[in-house]
Amino acid sequence: MATNALEAIDVSKTYLSRQDQVTALAPISFRIPSGSFVSFVGASGCGKSTILSLVAGLISPTSGELRLFDEPIKRPSPRISYMLQQDCLLDWRTVSENITLGLSFRGQNNTKSASHARYLLGELGLSHTLNQYPSQLSGGMRQRVALVRTLAVQPELLLLDEPFSALDYQNKLHLEELLVNVLQGRKMTALLVTHDLEEAIALSDTILVMGGRPGVLRRIIEVPGEIRKASPLAARSQPAFRSLFNELWKEIETP
Amino acid sequence: MIPRWSRWLARGAQSPIHANYLIQLRLRDFWVIISRIALLILILGGWEWATRSGWLDPFLFGSPSKIVDLFWQMTSTGGLFRDIGITTFETIGGFILGTASGVALASLIWASPFLSRVLDPYLVVLNSMPKVALGPLFIVTIGAGYGSIIAMAIAITIIITTLVIHTAFQNVSPDYHRLARSFGASRRQLFTTIIFPACIPDMIAALKVNVGLAWVGVIVGEFLVAKEGLGYLIIYGFQVFNLNLVMLSLLIIALCATLMYIIVNALEKRLLRHRQLEN
Repeated sequence: MATNALEAIDVSKTYLSRQDQVTALAPISFRIPSGSFVSFVGASGCGKSTILSLVAGLISPTSGELRLFDEPIKRPSPRISYMLQQDCLLDWRTVSENITLGLSFRGQNNTKSASHARYLLGELGLSHTLNQYPSQLSGGMRQRVALVRTLAVQPELLLLDEPFSALDYQNKLHLEELLVNVLQGRKMTALLVTHDLEEAIALSDTILVMGGRPGVLRRIIEVPGEIRKASPLAARSQPAFRSLFNELWKEIETP
Repeated sequence: MIPRWSRWLARGAQSPIHANYLIQLRLRDFWVIISRIALLILILGGWEWATRSGWLDPFLFGSPSKIVDLFWQMTSTGGLFRDIGITTFETIGGFILGTASGVALASLIWASPFLSRVLDPYLVVLNSMPKVALGPLFIVTIGAGYGSIIAMAIAITIIITTLVIHTAFQNVSPDYHRLARSFGASRRQLFTTIIFPACIPDMIAALKVNVGLAWVGVIVGEFLVAKEGLGYLIIYGFQVFNLNLVMLSLLIIALCATLMYIIVNALEKRLLRHRQLEN
């Protein structure tokens, strides 16, 4: 039996401010099996990004419990790595100094981990940029460097908060392919938040559809095997892809 | 046949059109420089002519030739360079110490959001206050000397630097906070690795502003206490009604202040060569 990488038990989140309180997430429960790729989709404001912040340990739930590999999440866990929409590269550091940022924050920046980071950079086709500065790179390359920085800490759970949404279509497809290739063979669980339905279908094993304000889990959709097996680009031309897209679209559009 | 000067103006051209374009561009640059020099000559010449012909009273306005005479006389006998050296030293000391302590204070405030809230009204009051009014206070506590003058330059720069740099610290995108915290970084690590280096351009911008402010502090300080320095020469010249001395001091101050600004500008280019232009 597959173990759960992540388990949410009646997790809710209410943001408090001086003026009022806003409930972003109604109590929600889900399980994410280890090694799977799961996407959260839904209209803006339905609490998808809140879930990632909770899992990353950046904020704590108002009620309920989140368990990562059966341990409650209290603070940012070293088993998790988080990738944002913005690449957040440090312009005054070279690429090689940028990709080891997470390692040095965690006190793991040694020769072995740094050479693994360089290996990952090569896997994403950017070995030649090692001593360049971020300002010399294109948007797609910068985001690939950010992906290397995210992977360099060798996480067991990868959190992706709309990582490709700032990129143009071509770069987005390219990065999706690279991501799938990198994840293949590594026993990594991935949690993607996106409002790009095509991206969710092309990458995921399971799609969790959210909606409403405060956000609730509306539906859980298993992506058919033939789409899962195909690469992100090939998946888009599968016959089942369109019908699944339309189904998701309707689910999200209904208020 | 292409004349020599036009070949020189078109140097580095990759095609005849490019050559034409470069010639136009460089001719314009050339005329800008010529016009600048002409304007300077016009001003100085007009001044000289007006004071000689009696249009302007040379006793009130001095004259360029007398200022030059005075300059030679003072460099050989009066120790003008000593005065320049003292004032420049005070200014450099003032703006470096003022900027550095402003940055340090901003870092301290950033480290403790509570302290930041507590000190906020004090900073606002101190910032609104005309710092030169503190002059007498410095003289009675530090004494009438270099100390008070540098203190004046620091007083005039430190608060505004603190406010500007603290704002810069706070304006670093929250995404960087999320990134660092998700990697388990402490607040200290976040500051030293991301926030502080991200704000170095703002610190250099503050340095540029502070060069000008420090000159104000030092000159006012010298007005109040000094027995030497360019500010003292201005006050002395004014008191004995030697307007040539006042003008000479003003010209030297303008020159030194510009030089310092150019140096800080070059420093900025050197330090920020890897940073993106847009931000």
